[in-house]
Amino acid sequence: MDATDPIIEMRNARVTYDDGETFVLDDVSMAVERNEVVGVVGESGSGKSMFASAMLDAIPDPGRLSGEILYHKDDGTTIDVLELSPEELRKFRWEEVAMVFQGAMSSFNPTMKVGGHFEETLKAHDADVIEGMARAEELLADLYLDPERVLDSYPHELSGGMQQRALIALSLVLEPNVLVMDEPTAALDLLMQRSILMLLQELQEKYDLTMVFITHDLPLVAALADRMAVMYAFDLIEVAPRDQLIGDSGHPYTRALLNSTPNLDAPLEEMRAIEGQSPAPINVPSGCSYAPRCPLATEECREVDPEFYETGVGHSTACHHWERARETIDLNFEAVEDDAVGADTEDHA
Amino acid sequence: MSQTHDTADRRRQDEEPLVSLEDVEVHFEKNQGLFDFFEEPEVVRAVDGISLDIEENDVLALVGESGCGKSTLGKTSIGLQRPTAGTVRYRGQDVWAAKDGRGDVDIPFDEIRSSLQIIHQDPGSSLNPNQRIVDILAQPIKLTHPDVGPTERRERIYSLLERVGMNPAADFADRYPHQLSGGEQQRVALARALLMNPDLILADEAISALDVSLRVEMMDLMLDLQEDFDTSFVFISHDLSNARYFAEHGNGRIGVMYLGELVEVGRAEQLIEDPGHPYTNVLRWATPDLALHADGASEPPMRKIDIPDPVDPPSGCRFHTRCPEAREACREACPALEGETGAHRTACFRNQPDHEYWDSAPLED
Ligand SMILES: Nc1ncnc2c1ncn2[C@@H]1O[C@H](COP(=O)(O)OP(=O)(O)OP(=O)(O)O)[C@@H](O)[C@H]1O
Ligand code: SF4
Ligand code: SF4
Ligand SMILES: [Mg+2]
Repeated sequence: MDATDPIIEMRNARVTYDDGETFVLDDVSMAVERNEVVGVVGESGSGKSMFASAMLDAIPDPGRLSGEILYHKDDGTTIDVLELSPEELRKFRWEEVAMVFQGAMSSFNPTMKVGGHFEETLKAHDADVIEGMARAEELLADLYLDPERVLDSYPHELSGGMQQRALIALSLVLEPNVLVMDEPTAALDLLMQRSILMLLQELQEKYDLTMVFITHDLPLVAALADRMAVMYAFDLIEVAPRDQLIGDSGHPYTRALLNSTPNLDAPLEEMRAIEGQSPAPINVPSGCSYAPRCPLATEECREVDPEFYETGVGHSTACHHWERARETIDLNFEAVEDDAVGADTEDHA
Repeated sequence: MSQTHDTADRRRQDEEPLVSLEDVEVHFEKNQGLFDFFEEPEVVRAVDGISLDIEENDVLALVGESGCGKSTLGKTSIGLQRPTAGTVRYRGQDVWAAKDGRGDVDIPFDEIRSSLQIIHQDPGSSLNPNQRIVDILAQPIKLTHPDVGPTERRERIYSLLERVGMNPAADFADRYPHQLSGGEQQRVALARALLMNPDLILADEAISALDVSLRVEMMDLMLDLQEDFDTSFVFISHDLSNARYFAEHGNGRIGVMYLGELVEVGRAEQLIEDPGHPYTNVLRWATPDLALHADGASEPPMRKIDIPDPVDPPSGCRFHTRCPEAREACREACPALEGETGAHRTACFRNQPDHEYWDSAPLED
């Protein structure tokens, strides 16, 4: 799939610390399509938060971001995000691309009512407060919250799930086009996580949002995403439409990740952990970074860092032996799928 | 429910369940705000009327939403939380009578406490940051085996570290907790608990802070050690697929909690295959699967997203405000956990074919 109507294009993004000694994002390029939901999956320490922050030029100090981040506005003009002045960047981060992090508690000021946060944000951006507060109420109601009660509460008076939903409403109050979320539900129980995902889907449809959802929890985001991207050792290793990534992934790591997650329907014996540990920023091996853990690694893998191979429609895989991976690494939930879905397997497109 | 306790006390200790809860209740008085001096203190009903037995070599996985009382029930089972009503027995000995020195105390409180151990969700904060791993692990050995010399102590620590997958032990033993990954810290916490030779370990969300991809590994390790060390586990998780993995592998049960009550308990396979309680169904919905052509995040089988305040739980069946099957009868009466101890038990009128529930009108919001 050629990038038909990208809204954000990240080109060769690199983030380094220690004067360039350690990479925490290694030459990553990816385009996010307008109105799609992208799920970005990676283990802790894989660089996925850096990926999220890079989109908004929000890398924590003293990290250095290089490369290019382009934002294509609805009116056809393009913004070069890394060239924005601090003031322009501040506006960009709320009005075009908004961000929600894990842990609403730390994002709210504990001594200010939730309503105060909405008002302050609207004022800081010279927005019409009355109109803005009406929008806030609608957003809160969209998130199954009682607007009056929530606006009039202090953050600690709300449950964790309510706080996180209020934070999502706040991030949308200035009508951004894109919502970037980094583990937005990780501190919540599973039922609340799933409920929020369902609500995000409704918001996405209602407001034509583009969403980037970053998490370590592949099955969770799979319920929401149109397209998924997998990160390993500070780089993307596979990008594909959701069903392809789950049913026909070509990367041994993605396949191991799929097999390592407990699943209510998969046979118990077949879930297994991924052997070994992912590399730290300082000792990423040369060649393929997954080679030390990969059951299919060859001499070629240890010498040549795999580029993206086109492994399906809109499906890119950074693995020299993607065909062999598909043939030899079975997916443990396939047996269940075959029974359930029967001959209906259009995922080999 | 109270049985003829005199005879029960006299039974031989090893015929008793390892831990037995009878009509246990834990109510907390909520801290009052500055202006609430004159009001009645609010009471959080964290655990309400739960009876449960845990046997030797048993596995019980507790699931439910945040705030439903899983941790409180878990801590009550290991004698860390005093119940406000009901009894907790360890091998027949009333745990809090032992603590208070009431009646004939067959098993001293200290012995009970060291037989019942806990691993927390956040291992980082439960390990002393200023101590090396080897010193952290030396403490329980000094407690349980004061006559073991330093050389043997180090040997035991090294072999246990290797047993919990930290190879080579010498590489890890002299590090401080912050020099370990979350998964490694959790292994140390597990090793420390095991050194007390416990009969029961409470693993309270012990894998929740780990990456999804590391959880299976940690559960496998606990299950392996369960066999080697003959320990029982109470495994707390808000994730039904983890509870299923742990309980089914450990040949144990899953208990589903809702607002302080146990609403369903049964063998893991059966509870997952054929849930008897509408709330268990909700937890199933919340558990992601990797089905292809998913229809996205479908509507949940419940009427409201947010759990009611445990200070003021709904009347009748506590789930009636969210239950998709709720009828008028559910608002009035509270369904009991039907069935024999040890069998699959469910607290819902829908399991009683003759109940007036079937003739009453559906609840609308
Ligand atoms: N020491 C305490 N004092 C007052 N209230 C408490 C105390 N401990 C727990 N509670 C309350 O009791 C209820 C049950 O809490 P508990 O910690 O057992 O829930 P949980 O199921 O473990 O939740 P989570 O999944 O969030 O860990 C909650 O409403 C909680 O706020
Ligand atoms: S390139 Fe080689 S080492 Fe890397 S994932 Fe593919 S097979 Fe494994
Ligand atoms: S008793 Fe009624 S409200 Fe409670 S779970 Fe059963 S049907 Fe639902
Ligand atoms: Mg808890």
